[in-house]
Amino acid sequence: MSTTEANPGKKYTVIGTRPIRHDGVDKVTGRAKYGGDIRLTGMLFGVMLRSPHAHANIKSIDYSAALALPGVHAVVTVDDFPDAENKIAELGEGAINLQHLRHNVLAGPKALYRGHAVAAVAADTVNIAEDACKLIKVEYEVLKPVLTAPEAMKPDAPLLHNNVYTNSLGEETKQLSNVAKHFRFEKGDLEAGFKAAKVIVEREFNTATVHQGYIEPHNGTAMWNSDGKVTVWCSTQGSFTARQQVAELCHIPVGNVKVIPMEIGGGFGGKVSVYLEPVAAILSKKTGRPVKIIMNRADCFEGTGPTPGSYIRVKMGADANGKITAAEAYMAYEAGGYPGSPIGAGAMCVFACYDVPNGKVDGFDVCVNKPHTNAYRAPGATNAAMATETVIDEICEQLKMCSMEFRLKNAAVEGTRRIDGPVYPRIGMIESVEAIKNSDHWKTPLTGKNRGRGIATGFWFNCGLKSAVTATVNFDGSVGLVEGSTDIGGSRTGIAMQFAETLGIPVDQVMPSVGDTDSVGYTDVTGGSRVTFATGWAAYEAGLDIARQMCQRAATLWEVPADQVKYENGGVSGPGGKQISFKDLVVQTCKHGEPIVGRGSADPQCPGGAFATHCVDVEVDPDTGKVTVLRYTASQDVGTAIHPAYVEGQIQGGAVQGIGWGLNEEYFYDQSGVMRNSTFLDYRMPTCLDLPMIEAIIVEVPNPGHPYGVRGVGEVPIVPPPAALANAIYNAVGVRMTQLPMSPPRVLHEILAKK
Amino acid sequence: MKNFEFASPQTEAEAVGLLQDHGGRTAVLAGGTDLVGLLQADLVAPERVVDVRQIQSMSGVRREADGLWVGALTTLDDVLASPLLKPYLSLVQVADAHHAIQIQSSGTLGGDLCHLPNCWYYRNGYGLLAMKDGESLVETGDNRYHAILGNSGPAKFVNASRFAPALIAWGAKVRIIGPAPEQVEVVPLEYFYISPKSANQGNTILKPGQLISHIWLPAIEPTHVSATYEVLQMEGLDWPLATASVTLDVEGGIVRAARVVLGHVAPTPWVSQEAASLLRNQMVTEDLANAVGAAAVSKATPLSNNEYKVQIAKTAVKRAVLKAVGQLEGGL
Repeated sequence: MSTTEANPGKKYTVIGTRPIRHDGVDKVTGRAKYGGDIRLTGMLFGVMLRSPHAHANIKSIDYSAALALPGVHAVVTVDDFPDAENKIAELGEGAINLQHLRHNVLAGPKALYRGHAVAAVAADTVNIAEDACKLIKVEYEVLKPVLTAPEAMKPDAPLLHNNVYTNSLGEETKQLSNVAKHFRFEKGDLEAGFKAAKVIVEREFNTATVHQGYIEPHNGTAMWNSDGKVTVWCSTQGSFTARQQVAELCHIPVGNVKVIPMEIGGGFGGKVSVYLEPVAAILSKKTGRPVKIIMNRADCFEGTGPTPGSYIRVKMGADANGKITAAEAYMAYEAGGYPGSPIGAGAMCVFACYDVPNGKVDGFDVCVNKPHTNAYRAPGATNAAMATETVIDEICEQLKMCSMEFRLKNAAVEGTRRIDGPVYPRIGMIESVEAIKNSDHWKTPLTGKNRGRGIATGFWFNCGLKSAVTATVNFDGSVGLVEGSTDIGGSRTGIAMQFAETLGIPVDQVMPSVGDTDSVGYTDVTGGSRVTFATGWAAYEAGLDIARQMCQRAATLWEVPADQVKYENGGVSGPGGKQISFKDLVVQTCKHGEPIVGRGSADPQCPGGAFATHCVDVEVDPDTGKVTVLRYTASQDVGTAIHPAYVEGQIQGGAVQGIGWGLNEEYFYDQSGVMRNSTFLDYRMPTCLDLPMIEAIIVEVPNPGHPYGVRGVGEVPIVPPPAALANAIYNAVGVRMTQLPMSPPRVLHEILAKK
Repeated sequence: MKNFEFASPQTEAEAVGLLQDHGGRTAVLAGGTDLVGLLQADLVAPERVVDVRQIQSMSGVRREADGLWVGALTTLDDVLASPLLKPYLSLVQVADAHHAIQIQSSGTLGGDLCHLPNCWYYRNGYGLLAMKDGESLVETGDNRYHAILGNSGPAKFVNASRFAPALIAWGAKVRIIGPAPEQVEVVPLEYFYISPKSANQGNTILKPGQLISHIWLPAIEPTHVSATYEVLQMEGLDWPLATASVTLDVEGGIVRAARVVLGHVAPTPWVSQEAASLLRNQMVTEDLANAVGAAAVSKATPLSNNEYKVQIAKTAVKRAVLKAVGQLEGGL
């Protein structure tokens, strides 16, 4: 692993080191508590009944026989939720209409995808609850499903909703349609741009629905107390958004809901929306007992929020010097059963790496009979990069130009206006490409039959949003740090490190923990690559708050005016060379005066975007179509690497998920809309046996909008891999792949077609 | 999962007795790597599960004059560790290719031979024939992993055993005990599998109350060579898209006898006489291997989504032949 710093002068004492994570021992010894570990006195077990049909009217539900089964305590359907308001709830990384959320949690008049929850049972055991589900009689009127965006956009396509009208270019139309939204970004003069081009390439792409594939299934336990207060234990990327969703769906004040976030066995965006928590809550309300629901793997595939399949058409032109003159994209993303695909982000990202003088992007949010899509690591951007980055490879081939030079020549820089409007501050696109160009990988020639090399670049945003932390100084000089960001990637250590840096104290003297919604200030979701950035900022503020209080104490101790003391170098200094360390000051003064408590909150407005460039070598088996990854290097501008090992881990993890998306992962649907491969046997995710070590190159171009220069790092590494692999496959065997995944049957098909 | 009785017999006779009760609505537990999933999905709902792991006579590998008796409880790890099995390279290669520590340490040879199909229609409760309202779901549905050979009858699934092709290529037999006490029969493995014609048939000849106690392998001669080539999409735990196992008797560079068996291409392991006959009295070359591969799939009748499997099966046969004689490029 190597690190390239853009400003090697700035040095920190804690930031940039690699301490052992605070939650590490608990996790590797199995002592950490996950949602599945919750056991409460009198607890019941819930099981969901799910629709076997991809599209059906629910005519009636008769659960009397289920309720009569001994050991069954309650059955609920959507009618047990109060009517939801027709309003949008912002969930940080994504938003949802509450009526849609209510019907997604338990199906309303229609089941809109196979696996859509229809009813739920609470019983003494899981087995009894499963048996009870089989006794529930649901009368379905089965309707024809529609499974892809292009199909769903046809005028005669079966309609999913009788109240979704197309919002077309900002206008609410009266057109009932599966297309919930059509928007457009434009820049410059597209026609003139294409006229100025020497080379124009236009290609169509189809990408499959894929799942986040977290190891820990969704789980939710709820206790609706007799005083009307509800406690929820769950695996969530946002305890406050989980609280908001439960409160809104149950029509109770948010103050009546306490969400206790448990440790998380992977989320990747899929654990922002609620699926089980509100159902457990109303089952608990009906029974007066705590109710726990855990999904199995098929439930996770069929009943949560994968990332969308998509249809994308990209047309790009470049002049003889390899300068982009125009670029156009048509992008239709599957939203699943309810509006709200990540098409907006996909459309912003499609050309985000480049300075495109003339461009147009049309985006379509399209309902289909598949699970309602949800965030998955840089949602929408991977699909888009697959299109743009392979079209660029083809343009470079025609221009006989190195695609690395093309990327450097057209790279977005400070001052470049992205097609959706924003003008970039200082960014590290060029640096990320140059890091690959200077890498040992790129400089080592690839030899051998059926082998090829590909590169691709990607962009992803970095959200700001709200974060809060509280710091409590103990009498021994250690500090308890409570933060509200649920920790899916080692963030509590990254946050503690920024706090420790601010005070100049050792990070092992800081004890970070993730608080529940009653014990820490409001904090938005763990998503949008925001936690190390924004919650880290809140920790910085809390550190400054404590430093101020320490200065007061030192001034009192030394009997000097407060304006003559200063917090620096891990302690306070005062007139006449007086100096005292943080710890000594705490120990000396803690017996007197009020306890020292610091607070920090942040709602930063200047997040920095992140750019990544990946280089991959593959070998393609021409007789089976199997692609073997031989070598993989990923560079990324991370701003400042707070904990370089975790940054490398994010880069490697994202690259691996992108490789799985590119080569193997896909929902297989048959014509009836039934997912056929809802197990990890046939939904193939790569393991360590399928991959070489992913070399991560950290590039540091500090974000001017953060006290420590942090940029979000967690998402962008999933963006380039499919495109880099497609380019490598072309380089190896001369076939252009335009469909994901590039699994053996597809690659073999293209190879045989070429022959 | 339904509740069931759990029995743990110490002898083969006890096991047979316990399996007969409840009208034969019983199940054998060996490694459990397939059965537990089937129980959880309610695809198998026995009144009693008979755990045979305590039966000492069903473990271990024993040499006799004409060959080896391999206990059905022999795990994949045992296959890899056994000096007696080591010369049967095509078998060892299958155990090694699993790349899954849990399966290798608990999965057994007997369990592998009885592994129920991975066909997703079967696994979703539509039965081995995947029929709904009198129609085959496979024919009109997603059949990318289904049979390309032997699929003219109602069964379209592919046999899931990973060891059967190699064992059949070696001419292995299985010793079946039950259902009556002391009842024993020894059957060539090739005839153990059936392609069910009706919904009440299974995919093996095992009757309720019967189980495999041992596998018999003929003694190996110095002129015998063998290999298995599995086409796996993933290097970790996965099941093959197609497999080929070959056993050759090679004297002076000339193939005197050959057995070629394909796996995961038909409802039963698929013995290819066409492929074997091309090899006899020939010297193995890349061209011959190519022709053998082509012959093995010459009668393939792919379904709507699995044409690609023909090419993959052909490649598996070609590479297994080359691998057996040490001519596979890259030493794969």
